[in-house]
Amino acid sequence: MSEALAHSVATIPRLDLSRMRGYARQDGRKGIRNYLAVAYLVECAHHVARRIAEPFQEQGAQLIGFPGCYPSDYAHRILEAMCIHPNVGAVLLVSLGCEEFRRSDLKDAIARSGRPVELMVIQDRGGTRSTIDEGRAFVAAELMRLKAAPTVPLSLGELVIGTKCGGSDGLSGITINPAVGHAFDLLVDEGATVMFEETPELIGCEQHMAERAVTPELGAELIAAVAKADAYHRELGHGSFGGGNIKHGLSTIEEKSVGAYAKSGSRPIVGLLKPGDRPLRPGLHLMDTVNDGPVKLGIPNINDTQTVTEMVASGCQLIVFTTGAGSVVGQAIAPIIKGVSNSRVFQRLSDDIDVNGGTIADGQETIREVGEHILRKIVALASGEQSRSEALGHQEFALAYKSYEPAGPACFPLG
Amino acid sequence: MPMDRRANMVRLAPADNIAVALSDIAAGETALDRAQLMVTVRERIPQGHKIALQPIAADEPIIRFGMPVGLAKVAIAKGALVHIHNVRSQYLDNEVDHYE
Repeated sequence: MSEALAHSVATIPRLDLSRMRGYARQDGRKGIRNYLAVAYLVECAHHVARRIAEPFQEQGAQLIGFPGCYPSDYAHRILEAMCIHPNVGAVLLVSLGCEEFRRSDLKDAIARSGRPVELMVIQDRGGTRSTIDEGRAFVAAELMRLKAAPTVPLSLGELVIGTKCGGSDGLSGITINPAVGHAFDLLVDEGATVMFEETPELIGCEQHMAERAVTPELGAELIAAVAKADAYHRELGHGSFGGGNIKHGLSTIEEKSVGAYAKSGSRPIVGLLKPGDRPLRPGLHLMDTVNDGPVKLGIPNINDTQTVTEMVASGCQLIVFTTGAGSVVGQAIAPIIKGVSNSRVFQRLSDDIDVNGGTIADGQETIREVGEHILRKIVALASGEQSRSEALGHQEFALAYKSYEPAGPACFPLG
Repeated sequence: MPMDRRANMVRLAPADNIAVALSDIAAGETALDRAQLMVTVRERIPQGHKIALQPIAADEPIIRFGMPVGLAKVAIAKGALVHIHNVRSQYLDNEVDHYE
């Protein structure tokens, strides 16, 4: 689906890789940011956590959290992954006190990762005011330290990048998505790790995907993952397809899927991940974003942000997000590069968009050229520049109840 | 190579029976792709929506990028808009959801 060209990063004009810098973490990963995560462990602690983070959100404080009171292995795994993410340098946990989140386990895991971590329990500290005051004092002190932290050189091969579409239209699969696919091909050729997801939006593409898998066993797992998504949504009676897509020209879930699939480019698929799983090797991976087991709690992915959160939990330092209608979201912990499919929406929302793929439809640029723009933005973000949604202060985050079985060995072929 | 400047539709693969409008096309206008394929549109085709390149019989697949992306619900005339009113999904209900 992307143009078959002899094209490599070395031939791209105006691409300066030498400015890319990262923060070296104890586990060997490198972050492109040095954030302080303020994480609430139940909705009852949300307001206090928000007030703690608010004055510092332009200086590197990022608010995340889990609203549920009852236990969830999945939510614990995801929140822990966010707290020890390569882009995070320190953590403040905010607990009410009587919720079921295993806060000591989480705190210990963060401490073991070599990061400063503080746990504040509202019920122990005497309530809202004192917790806010003490929380802000911690955040202010930590941010000064984080700001002064040293960086090390960073190469394309050390990047982990996810892609996602939201608010797709009839041009998404023709313009911006193939451009992302082209950028992904170039990144994979440089040794980077990349991932795409949303199995309910790959309906009809599973055979083609299986043929790209590095082993037949992995190919079978890819087919099974899409079949699971199809069965789940048939039982729900509702696909990952709606009025917004219809308004903008897409007629069926299978049509939307063909367009969405173009983001994955043309390189082989080397692994299948569940949310929070760290990729074990470089190359292109698919993430399975549908619950295992029977339909229990309704729609598996309540909004675009939830599935972006899942890729960030698997270690993505940044996300390339394509849109047709004009999604404006960013993401907490990992900045989003926003690409749009058409120039009309680019002009209307230009302050929110990083890359215009509409030039392809207008006959002004090729898929390859827009792919190069995307790569330039990736390098810029890894060199300390902000994306549009990041500069506008977007820090979306969504974590709800889901459940997964561990991925089987066929999902991670090695060697 | 950039798309022909005058092209206002794109057919993604040779076997496709639809093309996608690259910009809004008014009823009665000629839609043109890069390979000089021409179709007179019978009704307004908004940007990103599909045009039938040939008559499509009821229950025939809609082919986009060489892949079936739905089935015609009724016979569709050449040059007509192809969308949820005359296309059904082979997987899930594509009845219009609420939208403004």
